[in-house]
Amino acid sequence: MFGSIVSYIREFARREWIHKFLFAKTAPLTTPVYSRGFPELTGKTCTHALFCMMACPAPGAIEVIHLDDGGWEPRIHTGHCIRCGLCVEACPNGVLYSGRILESMFYDNTMLSFSFRIDVDTNRCMGCGNCAVACPVNKTIDAQMSHGGRASTDELLLKVSEGKCVVLHPEKCTGCKTCEQQCPNEAIRVARLLEAVHAPEEEL
Amino acid sequence: MKIEDVVCTFCGCLCDDLVVEVEGDRVVSVENGCTLANKKFMGNNRLKTPIKRDGGNWEKVGLDEAIQTTAEVLLDADRPLLYGWSGTHGEAQTIGVHMAELLGAVIDNTSTVCHGPSIMAIQEVGHPGCTLGQVKNRADVIVYWGSNPIEAHPRHMSRYTTYADGFFLKEAFHERKVIVVDIRKTETANIADEFIMVEPGADYALLSALRAIVRGKGDMLPLNICGVEREQLFRVADICKSAKFGAMFFGLGLTMSRGKYKNIRNAIELVEELNRHTKFTISPMRGHWNVYGSNEVFTWISGYPFAVDFARGIAFYNPGETTSVDILKRGECDACLVVGSDPGAHFPRDCCRHLAGIPTIQIDPHVNATTHLSRLQIPVAVTGIDAEGTAYRMDGVPIRTRKVIETTYPSDSEVLEKIYQIIRKETGS
Ligand code: SF4
Ligand code: SF4
Ligand code: SF4
Ligand code: SF4
Repeated sequence: MFGSIVSYIREFARREWIHKFLFAKTAPLTTPVYSRGFPELTGKTCTHALFCMMACPAPGAIEVIHLDDGGWEPRIHTGHCIRCGLCVEACPNGVLYSGRILESMFYDNTMLSFSFRIDVDTNRCMGCGNCAVACPVNKTIDAQMSHGGRASTDELLLKVSEGKCVVLHPEKCTGCKTCEQQCPNEAIRVARLLEAVHAPEEEL
Repeated sequence: MKIEDVVCTFCGCLCDDLVVEVEGDRVVSVENGCTLANKKFMGNNRLKTPIKRDGGNWEKVGLDEAIQTTAEVLLDADRPLLYGWSGTHGEAQTIGVHMAELLGAVIDNTSTVCHGPSIMAIQEVGHPGCTLGQVKNRADVIVYWGSNPIEAHPRHMSRYTTYADGFFLKEAFHERKVIVVDIRKTETANIADEFIMVEPGADYALLSALRAIVRGKGDMLPLNICGVEREQLFRVADICKSAKFGAMFFGLGLTMSRGKYKNIRNAIELVEELNRHTKFTISPMRGHWNVYGSNEVFTWISGYPFAVDFARGIAFYNPGETTSVDILKRGECDACLVVGSDPGAHFPRDCCRHLAGIPTIQIDPHVNATTHLSRLQIPVAVTGIDAEGTAYRMDGVPIRTRKVIETTYPSDSEVLEKIYQIIRKETGS
């Protein structure tokens, strides 16, 4: 044992070792431009479109906070964020940035497109109407629906027909999942489909 | 042809916003109604003509003959029982009570096996209730105790309580809190903010504990009350006390479990206690679409809501003695007329056995469990589909049900009126 301690001291006491240790020549640590850090705010106004929350794959990573002045602002919880950058790409107002995502979207003329697939399991559905009455999109279309489940137009996203929930206009869905959360029978499911597409020219 | 604002005559919600499409004498589609409504309107397994038991077989008989037989059976009986009435309209119920009076019969409705205890408690301590419209427009705390509306009253939450936007609640379910108390995790409990799982038979204790907490005497309670953490009850009591307007709904889980009408009395007294802090109401979740109507009609004619015995020539009411189940159990009644209900599916075995042994006659559109106990069945029109009439919603609001198709079936009141006229003639009144 005494022998090994001596050999350690002899090793570390070498001039060459001490020199390399103190004057090592490595490249300085700089963040490359293409690196994606945690998303940060660009300063543009958040309109509470919630596309970021919809796109985020990491539960609890992003939240849109109501500010005291009445506005909204996304907040990243770094412990949960996996720095994928989807929220940056998803935001229609460019509120977030991270690395070169916004620039490459601009040059490549790409955007994220969302669509939602709503599935109703008619074996489980009781036609209670909770989903259709609670759906915030239905609410803006037909007040009679949100005040007690009477469908007065076929423009509605969801309604109850033949004793089951039916989806009339899936393209109007914003993917908020309210229906899914409020269904007592786990009969309605909303799946988010996220696609990178070429933006139409005029939107550039 | 599309007909708007059709009333669903299935459960006590009596939804009056259905849109049905009819073709000739058939309903082809139902909008806005729940699964139960859909099945009711689209069902097509009706009995075609009156049928009479002939030994082991059924034979078809004419309507007039069936009516005559019914009148004779009732006139011959010493202690006839006229049971059911929750599945028919008020006009037919009225004839029923008058008929019972002439016959010196016992007339009883389905409350006898559902919310009879609620009525008894209300007779003792009153009913701090309100209409469902008030609940929809004002209530920010909803309590379902021993009831599972998703299964039994599917649209209760979306039409009147949790989800429906109201005058003072623009963001309905975000602003309302839902508390569910039940012995198992029901579908309704899945969407509740607070779910209390109560041990079977412990409702009375739990209600008493909540009363103590609301009274400010919570410290003297044990840490665990019949399997429920005291902390949870403190939390629930706080939610109730801080409500702007609370509404409690209770079902058979409370009326028909240990304690029966004492449970309801205790619940009403809890609500009374809560009214020292805020506005709070309590209402029963009535099951049949017009069971409330049968209580109303019975009461306005005889003074009593169910189990009315006319044997003495005057109306006499003593639940436990004049209630159908007790009369049948004692083997007292010697003829029974069943209208708009299915005791064969709900009564205890002894009672069904007795019904099978006496001349039991059923007036009902469909073949059901009671058919197998009956000697004669007269099919009638379904109120709300091919007959109209008045019904009372679970909160006591009368609603005129509509006739959407034309059929050849007579309505309940037409059949009963004919029987009544024969009885009048025979009894010389
Ligand atoms: S970078 Fe990815 S994980 Fe992080 S908040 Fe945005 S979407 Fe969520
Ligand atoms: S997910 Fe779509 S359908 Fe469901 S509540 Fe939200 S907007 Fe309505
Ligand atoms: S999908 Fe769920 S919430 Fe919607 S009507 Fe059916 S059971 Fe009710
Ligand atoms: S909730 Fe009741 S009254 Fe309303 S549609 Fe369903 S069964 Fe009919």
